[in-house]
Amino acid sequence: MKSAPFEYLRADSIASACEALRREGDSAKIIAGGQSLVPIMAMRLVRPSLLVDINEIAALKFIAVERDAVRIGACTRQALVERDDALASRVPLLRQALAWVGHVQTRNRGTLGGSIVHADPCAELPLAAQVLGAKMVLRSSSGARTLAAEEFFTGPMVTATDSSECLEEVHWPVWSEPRTGCAFTEIANRHGDFAMVSAACQLALDGEGRCVRAAFGLGGVGQTPLAFPRLAARLLGTKLDEAVVKSVAQDAAAQTEPGSDLFATADYRRHLAGVLAARVIRAAQEKAGGGK
Amino acid sequence: MAEEKSPSGFRYIGTKRRTKEDPRFVTGRGHYAADIALPGMKHIALVASPHPSARIVSINTKPALAVPGVLYVLTGEEFQGGTDALYVGVDAPKVTRYALARGIVRYAGEWVAAVVADTRAIAEDAAELVEVEYESLPYVIDPEAALAPDAHLVHKAHGSNVLYHRKFVWGPVEEAFAKADHKLAFRATWGRSSTVPIETFGVAAQWDAGTGLLDIWASIQMPKFPDQAARALKLPGNAVRVHFDVDVGGSYGLKRGIKHTVLVGFLAKRLGVPVRLIEDRLENMRGGDMHGPDRFFDMQVAFDRDGTIRALKIRAVDDVGAYAGRSPLQLGKPVGAICGPYQIRAIEYEPTSVMTNKTPQEAVRGFGQAPTNFALERAMDRVARYLKMDRIELRRKNLIRKDQFPYLIPSGTSYDSGDYHAVLDKALAAIDYPALERERDEARKAGRLAGIGISTCLEPSGGNTSFEILFNPKNETTTWMDSCLVRVDLSGSITGLMNTSSSGQGHETLVSTVIGEVLERDPAAIRVIHADSLSALPSNSPVGSRMAIMLGGAAAGAARKIKDTLVAIAAHNFECSPQDLEYRDGNVNVKGVPSKVLTWDQLVEIAHRKYHQMPPGIEPGLQAKFVWEVPTGPTVPTPDGRVQMYPCYSFETHIVYVEIDPDTGKPSLKRYVCGHDCGVMINPDIVHGMTYGGIAHGIGASLYEKFAYTEDGQLASGTFMDYLIPSAMEVPDIHIVDHCTPSPLTTFGQKGSGEAGYLGAPAAIANAVNDALDPLGVSIDTLPMSHLALWERISSAAKKSA
Repeated sequence: MKSAPFEYLRADSIASACEALRREGDSAKIIAGGQSLVPIMAMRLVRPSLLVDINEIAALKFIAVERDAVRIGACTRQALVERDDALASRVPLLRQALAWVGHVQTRNRGTLGGSIVHADPCAELPLAAQVLGAKMVLRSSSGARTLAAEEFFTGPMVTATDSSECLEEVHWPVWSEPRTGCAFTEIANRHGDFAMVSAACQLALDGEGRCVRAAFGLGGVGQTPLAFPRLAARLLGTKLDEAVVKSVAQDAAAQTEPGSDLFATADYRRHLAGVLAARVIRAAQEKAGGGK
Repeated sequence: MAEEKSPSGFRYIGTKRRTKEDPRFVTGRGHYAADIALPGMKHIALVASPHPSARIVSINTKPALAVPGVLYVLTGEEFQGGTDALYVGVDAPKVTRYALARGIVRYAGEWVAAVVADTRAIAEDAAELVEVEYESLPYVIDPEAALAPDAHLVHKAHGSNVLYHRKFVWGPVEEAFAKADHKLAFRATWGRSSTVPIETFGVAAQWDAGTGLLDIWASIQMPKFPDQAARALKLPGNAVRVHFDVDVGGSYGLKRGIKHTVLVGFLAKRLGVPVRLIEDRLENMRGGDMHGPDRFFDMQVAFDRDGTIRALKIRAVDDVGAYAGRSPLQLGKPVGAICGPYQIRAIEYEPTSVMTNKTPQEAVRGFGQAPTNFALERAMDRVARYLKMDRIELRRKNLIRKDQFPYLIPSGTSYDSGDYHAVLDKALAAIDYPALERERDEARKAGRLAGIGISTCLEPSGGNTSFEILFNPKNETTTWMDSCLVRVDLSGSITGLMNTSSSGQGHETLVSTVIGEVLERDPAAIRVIHADSLSALPSNSPVGSRMAIMLGGAAAGAARKIKDTLVAIAAHNFECSPQDLEYRDGNVNVKGVPSKVLTWDQLVEIAHRKYHQMPPGIEPGLQAKFVWEVPTGPTVPTPDGRVQMYPCYSFETHIVYVEIDPDTGKPSLKRYVCGHDCGVMINPDIVHGMTYGGIAHGIGASLYEKFAYTEDGQLASGTFMDYLIPSAMEVPDIHIVDHCTPSPLTTFGQKGSGEAGYLGAPAAIANAVNDALDPLGVSIDTLPMSHLALWERISSAAKKSA
């Protein structure tokens, strides 16, 4: 399990990283925390000719809490994102999702951006990004562009990122509704394993407990993490009674196209999708002070 | 750490004392195979077959040899020409096995060529360039298919896929089945799992042409390893020196890299440079030949309405993979505990060892006993359920009583001692069983699936060769000794020499504690070292939960000789009889006259430097060796296959509470108590650590771990992403309750505990899961009980009721 030979560049700025990517083209890979990349390189499943190390670029490590959004630098360690209280009060779903990402040890090294560009369809951070409609800022030598999550995730381990681009930062929208709650859950064989199915939800309620804003999604049951804006809209104006939640969750499950593997058949995944969708909606409602 | 006085009157044995070896491990000062760095050492990477069964048409090594830094590429053609085939545990001489295949590959992952290079990375680069042309052949993956008359033969020359088959009948089985009130039958399936130590197998070798000596450093736990390595390398035994002072990073039975070692030894000699192979995880899991039992049991039970179990019929089919080694013998050891801790007077046992095109099997913790215990305990619960009888009552009724020991079981083995009812009662009290039942019932009322599982199981310990001669009468062997040498140097300090390597069992603590106990000297000041194979006394390595018994007994025997020598020296100098003396803390004084004393230092000085004060007939210097045979000795089997298997029998009972999420199938272990009796514990921390680890291992085997194969013969779980070892998140708090029934056969009353926990955990967890599923009217008897498998059972019940 030694990786195939590669060149290594420690970039000292975003510009130098982008320049290296432009020069090298398709066969270059950015390395940040390396929690996914290093194992697949060791198994020689990927063989980059050049590794561009962005760990020393300070400009990629920050958490900036702003009025409508929180901006997080791509190379910010997951552990720092998880522990940031100001962030947790604005985008609470991130802390919830991160509790399921690997283990404490891997989160100390793994980065927010690394997980998002890796784009594993069952990974937690891509699902959170999809559900909340996060925006990805992509930088290249010729400038920057911003893509919404729904445009960004295009397939399993595939994103709309061009080979010359580096993910620079991720913008997470802040919900201003006072009664907002969110929840994240998943089923994996062991804690920290790739989820068979994951589910995330964020809701806002009015004073009477009526749902005024809703977003939810499912991971591990499609080519990308899935958000269900149309189904979420069916929750609006309701008090999230049993029948509504169940029907929305079942419809979401029915829209999934899961695959089968050693640990879960498509049927099992689809079943879990319905169960977990209902659970996260209910849990988010409770977090928002509703229900009961 | 405060030292507690042992409750049993020993000075050091059984007290809570710091272990001797752990400080160096936890401070990163262990010395493992991967720490061996020899000047000019080269590294090996392997080329593995992608096919489960194929003919090797050609191998082109030229592109690999052209890579800068590559020294050599070895193929099976040259290797098999220069070495002998590895040892086969049963009478199957045509099932030849070498580290590198020649002509035919028999499983996906089998090694075809070895690349030797300056670094492991270069070796891997070059291994990719070795061009092997294959012509794929039929293959067989399912063990039942492999038994079919027209099955593809894994080894054509052997003429069958069956390595071993026999039907043993011990006692009036048919009569019992005819007379019993009830009978039931079911199949229990133990999945292909193993132990997967963090350290893969590693070995380094160096050939000295000047002395004609091959030095080997390996992460080894294997009986007869130096002999087998020398034989396969066609070298005299005294031309191979295995260094046993290499720390082994976990083994649990399977660090038996004999094929790796022969390969590395051959290359070191052939190339004249030191060579090292450290398996990577992919090589280890596909081609390291370290999978465990893969076994199903067709169980039949004859029993009466009062719960008396009259007889068992057990058909066990074990899929050992593509080659034999010792793996068929894993069906043999359970003969010695084939009725578990129960009074069952008639047993039919029909073991079948079958080959398939899968990775070969190696010895795993318990050597086949854990699967057998699982099948037995599922049978007990099924009987209880059938009779609507309480599972604990059923067990109490059938458990051997403490006044029945020594107890002869139908297969010819005598159990030494035990108090199974007391251990069970202690465990039930520790978990507050009535409260646990209430907890389960309340959970059920709240709509959850909740179950309690119980197992009562044996751990045979002490080891011997009985299954070897039982399964292969041509292999007439009955000796299974271990040894220790104790030396007191001129400064008066004590050194114990053990004669095998350790893989985490704490032998240095064991030996120093025992020597300290006998000589009444502080174990903390006693050094324990590992011999090399040329300076070693005979040993059979730490297998079969034998070291507390055998190495402990040998260390005590050697220490007693030292003590006798010291007393003899004093008697000579005081001109009295040894009976007139007393030995205290290493000093010897005349009884009743404390002032008339020769101190430890004085006695040591006489032994080493004052020959004129030595009694006649006693060797100068102060050292003693003791070679000890297994206390019961192995016996030669009777014609109907009755034999004394291991000497000592530890007992464990597990009580586990599980809840299963009915909507997802996810199980969680909520409460866990293990009652354990391994006689006198030499070091309680070590026993508890082993038991704890064994339970974690059992959790893995029952819920998570499986070397799964695809229909096209590929290993589907060859990494830690898919071979799921339970982590700290999956292992609950475990409460271990001790009980002590000393063995009458051993030096201090100790029994073995190296396999503790693992032998009863899967059985209890399976019983708990089945108790949880019981209200749905479904059951599961196949391990591992994955989330998916549990959900499928639950949803099948839902469909049935709908």
